[in-house]
Amino acid sequence: MSAGLTARRVARLGMLGGMGVIYLALVGMVQTFDGVRLVGDQVTLGRVLLILPPLSAAYVLARPRIVAGEAVKPDGRAALVGGAIIGVTGGALVGLSIVVANGLPERFAAQKIFTSVTPALISVVTFDRAIAPGIGMLVVLATVAGAAGAGLAVLGWKIRRPLITGLLVVLLLSMLQNVFRVMIGQLGLDTAWLYSVRLGGLTYIGAILTFAVPAGISAFWANEGITLRQRLSGATREGQRQVRLLAVAAVGLLLAVLPFLLGSFLSAVLGRVGLFLLMGLGLNIVVGYAGLLDLGYVAFFAVGAYAMGVLTAAANSGSSIHVGMGFFEAVPIVVLLAAVTGLLIGAPVLRLRGDYLAIVTLGFGEIARVLVTSDALKSFLGGAQGLIAIPAPSFTIGGLNVDFRDPQPFYYLVLVFCVLAGFVSYRLANSRIGRAWVAMREDEQVSEVMGVSTVRYKLLAFATGAAVGSVSGALFAVQIGSLAPTSFNILISIQALAIIILGGMGSIPGVVVGALVLVGIPGFLTEFETYQLLIYGAVLIGIMLYRPEGLIPNVRRTRELKEEDRLQDAWSKGAPDAEPATISWEEAPG
Amino acid sequence: MMTRGTADVVETSEAPAELGRLSRFPVRRVVQWVVGVGVLLLAAYGTYETIQLGRFSGAAWRDLLVFGVAQGAIYALIALGYTMVYGILNMINFAHGEVFMAGAFASYFVARTLQNSGFLQSNPVVSIAILMVVAMAGSVGVAVLLERVAYRRLRKAPRLVPLITAIGASLFLQNTAKGFFGPQTRGYPTPDVLGGTWTVLGIPILRTQVIVIVGAILAMVGLIMFVARTRTGKSMRAVAEDKEIASLMGIDVDRVVVTTFAIGGMLAGIAAVLFTMVFQVVGPFMGFIPGIKAFTAAVLGGIGSIAGAALGGLILGLLEAVGPSLFLTGLGVKGPNQLKDVIAFSILVLVLIFRPGGLLGSDEAEKV
Repeated sequence: MSAGLTARRVARLGMLGGMGVIYLALVGMVQTFDGVRLVGDQVTLGRVLLILPPLSAAYVLARPRIVAGEAVKPDGRAALVGGAIIGVTGGALVGLSIVVANGLPERFAAQKIFTSVTPALISVVTFDRAIAPGIGMLVVLATVAGAAGAGLAVLGWKIRRPLITGLLVVLLLSMLQNVFRVMIGQLGLDTAWLYSVRLGGLTYIGAILTFAVPAGISAFWANEGITLRQRLSGATREGQRQVRLLAVAAVGLLLAVLPFLLGSFLSAVLGRVGLFLLMGLGLNIVVGYAGLLDLGYVAFFAVGAYAMGVLTAAANSGSSIHVGMGFFEAVPIVVLLAAVTGLLIGAPVLRLRGDYLAIVTLGFGEIARVLVTSDALKSFLGGAQGLIAIPAPSFTIGGLNVDFRDPQPFYYLVLVFCVLAGFVSYRLANSRIGRAWVAMREDEQVSEVMGVSTVRYKLLAFATGAAVGSVSGALFAVQIGSLAPTSFNILISIQALAIIILGGMGSIPGVVVGALVLVGIPGFLTEFETYQLLIYGAVLIGIMLYRPEGLIPNVRRTRELKEEDRLQDAWSKGAPDAEPATISWEEAPG
Repeated sequence: MMTRGTADVVETSEAPAELGRLSRFPVRRVVQWVVGVGVLLLAAYGTYETIQLGRFSGAAWRDLLVFGVAQGAIYALIALGYTMVYGILNMINFAHGEVFMAGAFASYFVARTLQNSGFLQSNPVVSIAILMVVAMAGSVGVAVLLERVAYRRLRKAPRLVPLITAIGASLFLQNTAKGFFGPQTRGYPTPDVLGGTWTVLGIPILRTQVIVIVGAILAMVGLIMFVARTRTGKSMRAVAEDKEIASLMGIDVDRVVVTTFAIGGMLAGIAAVLFTMVFQVVGPFMGFIPGIKAFTAAVLGGIGSIAGAALGGLILGLLEAVGPSLFLTGLGVKGPNQLKDVIAFSILVLVLIFRPGGLLGSDEAEKV
């Protein structure tokens, strides 16, 4: 029992699994996502959510536990049984609450408090059957899920990883079927074998193939990957550079043709991802590099948007100022203005550290929001009505009129600025300035003693971050052509923060992944939009609790966060179930 | 990489002339004083001009002041939750506004039932007592859950980690409430007896405001007695002083921390019922702005200090109620009341810059 398979723990995890399902149902996710068909017409995302909590609980149960610094693997068969019990318990708890909700004297009395408890929800969780057989089916499925979760944990990583990879690919392809169907169609290929129009999800053959192929590749990589990687690192410098160039070229080509594959509507989503990517890159300089938690980043976004609006808008824009500049002439002015704002906001808060800085910048963000809405500045910024008639740059090439407000040209415009910002960030990180920021982040006093002027470098971080964020705001103004003050609220700051937290503070690939996941998925799959902020909240908590360094961590940042327990962890996780990926991060560049 | 980095940073110190000039000229100080004196002069000039204008009568100022005190009392109650958690864990429980919201929602459903059965109108005192208990239970539940699930394992993490977690928790709770109960704001039923005014010391004051002020004072006195007199209060003070030593003295730190969160939740629950009496609405996002304002009040009074939270709440409430009309009307600003929040946040910024320890706090450099 040293591996923690006690009856108490099993019961607790079972209850937690059940409560997880109930939570997802009450918050409305189960019912909303029941409309998202994954495979065929029976496997919906809503139903997956019904079995996911017990599955995860069982997985947690069967993971090796660290007892006195040593990883103890639970006995396989006992873990499977424990997982199944978790499933039964969780399923029974859910079943019980269905009975209660259904059997209250006034039918659906629960709906008076919980808006999601409707007859429709009951029929979703009972699989469109009568109550008794429906609950029976739920319990059976939960039990299977529990056993499967435990099984996943008990299997070695060489089996687990291909399985999870395959499942994730199936999930991604089926969830984002409106994206991939369009893409594959644009390539002139047939999609009928993969997506069934009649059933609404993947075809069964399609699902099996999309599971098997990535799983196979992943299994091959798990067995041969180390040798391949060794061969790669053993290759000459020239060879390594060629491989890297090839990879960059491939990504570049994909980015260049993406809008044509996706069409206009989905390109607009990509444009939005780009805007947030840009903001994430800017905030990453302030938070990730310099370690200054700025919760008022929306202020710079607003400065960029409004400055661009005022400088370029036509005479009837709602502002008394009329300049009528072109977009490209205005960009340098906007950037300069934002950098100055960054200095102005940065200067008074230099003395503050950590959490106080966060709250003060939050205050600045709110001040910015109130100011743009207020009547006091109405004659300049349009007040509550905002600004209208902001033109988008356009040019004519060979009789073809390119207007940057159209989603596809806009995508390229954003892409250019993102690449620029990414390049600047990358170069900054590896420059003397970047190292000064790191030193300051790790220990302000020591870095001061070592001769880093913290005043100068803090201001520099604020100004640079502000400049990048303002470009995002300026592009936003171009994209929508009118500015409403309600778009500039604290949620923008928190969204940008969530992006860099998910990806990993201080890591540029992390920001890209964060923006794609947190802005892209809700953009592509409209069902997610309602729960976007809920998911952001969960991401912030989950990442900070379980993986503070983010999904694609920055090496040095990881060291800071895990300084103390790193050695012990490496030692205790050691032999039995160690995955090689943890080692490779250590060598990955910035 | 590490060694190279260090070497280059050291290099910077080889430009002593430049650095020396920077450190001799106190840019930061000068900027701070210019900003501070500027703001003060502006406020004084605005006040002078407003009084010259004479647009508001004495009674109007008096009503604004009373409203400010009532508002400040609610801020103070919420602020106590921030200040106690900060005093003990050195973390900003950003989700405390949502703890407040949870109490309001919990009591809302009971209030609705009481209203439908007619009990709320026939027995207003008993009803309010019931609502207080329910709201406290709701808030305490969420506060304790928050501590257990989100904060406990982060006690030794770098300071920004629990703050980010708390921001996430705030967002998560807001949107959970939105999913559970729907996004709309709803009317909160109140006993009709509370309409109208009572005359206190010759001044007619809205009954709700009297109850808010009296209720808040009672709650705060209760809290001060609890912390000063009881054994648990003593262990709370010990843990706030030094967690490790306290645990060596046989104090169960985990229990004290949970108690702290629970007391913060209780006060937030009381604040929630008082708040709904005045504003008569509940909604999933109702906790955010009062939460930030209350935090401002806590910082203004000196975070970690109970009396400071009360004082900070009072000052903030008053400044917010009177400030826009008093300072801004005279400056010719259009729609001064829209800028209420700007005043609150400017106060926060100014306090942190000039007296980071707050009015009653010690000016500890380390804390900031």
